Amino acid sequence: MSRIIFHIDVNSAYLSWEAAWRLQHGSTVDLRDIPSVIGGDEASRHGIVLAKSIPAKAYNVQTGESLYAVRQRCPNIVIIPPRYDLYMQCSAALIRLLEEYSPIIQIFSIDECFLDFTCMERIWPDPVAAAHMIKNRIKQELGFTVNIGISNNKLLAKIGGDLKKPDMVHTLFPEEVPEKMWPLPVEDLYGIGRATTPKLHKVGIYTIGQLAKADLTMLLYYFKSYGKVMQEYANGIENSDVASGGQPPMKGIGNSTTISHDVDDKRDAYKIILSLVETVCMRLRQAKYCARLVSVSITSNEFLHCSHQCKFAAATDCTNDIYQAACMLFDQLWQRQKIRKLGVRVSEFCGNDFVQLSLFEKYDEKKKQLDTTIDNIRMKYGTRSVFRSCFLHSGYSPVSGGVPAEDYTMMTSIL
Amino acid sequence: MKVLMKPIQMIAWFTESGKPNPVKFKFIYGDDCITIIVGKIITVEEEKIAGNRMYLYKCQSVIDNTEKLYELKYEINTCKWFLFKM
Repeated sequence: MSRIIFHIDVNSAYLSWEAAWRLQHGSTVDLRDIPSVIGGDEASRHGIVLAKSIPAKAYNVQTGESLYAVRQRCPNIVIIPPRYDLYMQCSAALIRLLEEYSPIIQIFSIDECFLDFTCMERIWPDPVAAAHMIKNRIKQELGFTVNIGISNNKLLAKIGGDLKKPDMVHTLFPEEVPEKMWPLPVEDLYGIGRATTPKLHKVGIYTIGQLAKADLTMLLYYFKSYGKVMQEYANGIENSDVASGGQPPMKGIGNSTTISHDVDDKRDAYKIILSLVETVCMRLRQAKYCARLVSVSITSNEFLHCSHQCKFAAATDCTNDIYQAACMLFDQLWQRQKIRKLGVRVSEFCGNDFVQLSLFEKYDEKKKQLDTTIDNIRMKYGTRSVFRSCFLHSGYSPVSGGVPAEDYTMMTSIL
Repeated sequence: MKVLMKPIQMIAWFTESGKPNPVKFKFIYGDDCITIIVGKIITVEEEKIAGNRMYLYKCQSVIDNTEKLYELKYEINTCKWFLFKM
């Protein structure tokens, strides 16, 4: 029996949530009806667009664009800083409402989720009517609009939901794929992004339909095993379950930060790397893992990206060890270009319930105790309660990367 | 009615199940401090806009010898009262 899967996606989530909150608190202006964006930091007057309203689209505002460029084109635009605690509250309210309709929900990101609606025909005989009812109830009770895509699998439900926005219900069942999905540009297919699109264009594939009918041998030659996955996706074939049991096991932890100015001094770069390593290692120890691979990435002021990685002989979760390795990688990688964004990532995990001693280094248990103590202090009194002295009066944050809310549901690339 | 959303001081009584009921409230209007006794609570609704639970009270009181209708809001997570519309 074929499944019925819903994909629910909040329209312009951050903006809609902020608009709804303001209306509830007496605002007479709906942010969704005026040119407005969410983004930035009022204090530093820097930042990028995280979400935009439909009137803002008329000014060609793009998500990810700098606020400076937006202000040039549209001086009257209203800019609101993000509030991650509000977004988590809205997301939780959405999930609570959806749980009344099915127990099998996969929270895909803070504003998207999948719902398994199979075997609900005794209560809701028509899934499309049920989707309309859910959409209208969310609008009425929670004050924001969603798009709902309906199909037999998650991939088609997600693509179907994106067909036309806002506040709509779309179906994209397998028999509708040639008519509704194949004419779309190939970059609209889930899993095909900035890197793969030009490669597909080079082999003459511009639409999803062309990808669906392309020669499999050719796709395997150019894209290896992913070529087969892409073609299956283009044909609407995807069979993963709606995973309501939580996330798959972590394979890597990374944090990056975009700096408000160009960094060209090694000592400043080291400070930023240290602040990123602090965040990454806190998360690593919290997840009870040790890592064997560390990688550093640099994005220059001309948006050129490079990265470098190295392996440890023995897995570690010690902030100092990972910091020293990250600095060494940075020294090898940096070509004196002006740096705009730095990232640190650790992977190749193993459990932290044992310590692998090395013949070449003396094991110092004090390092582990120091890390544990600092983690405990920060957990009790806040992340900024204790920090390295090099950050005092430095102008840099001692712990950077990530979002200000601890349990923020990050989007995953796995369907 | 005009939207005001003015923070107010409130005296309320609570039912056994924890539901608040407004009794008397006070707010600053220009240079004056105005106290209003809630005459009658016409309806109570719960709002969950943006996941933020609020009780909306449609009330009526005699103010300056006239029956006036107004709306009060109680924000559950912050325990704040507001004169929403008057």
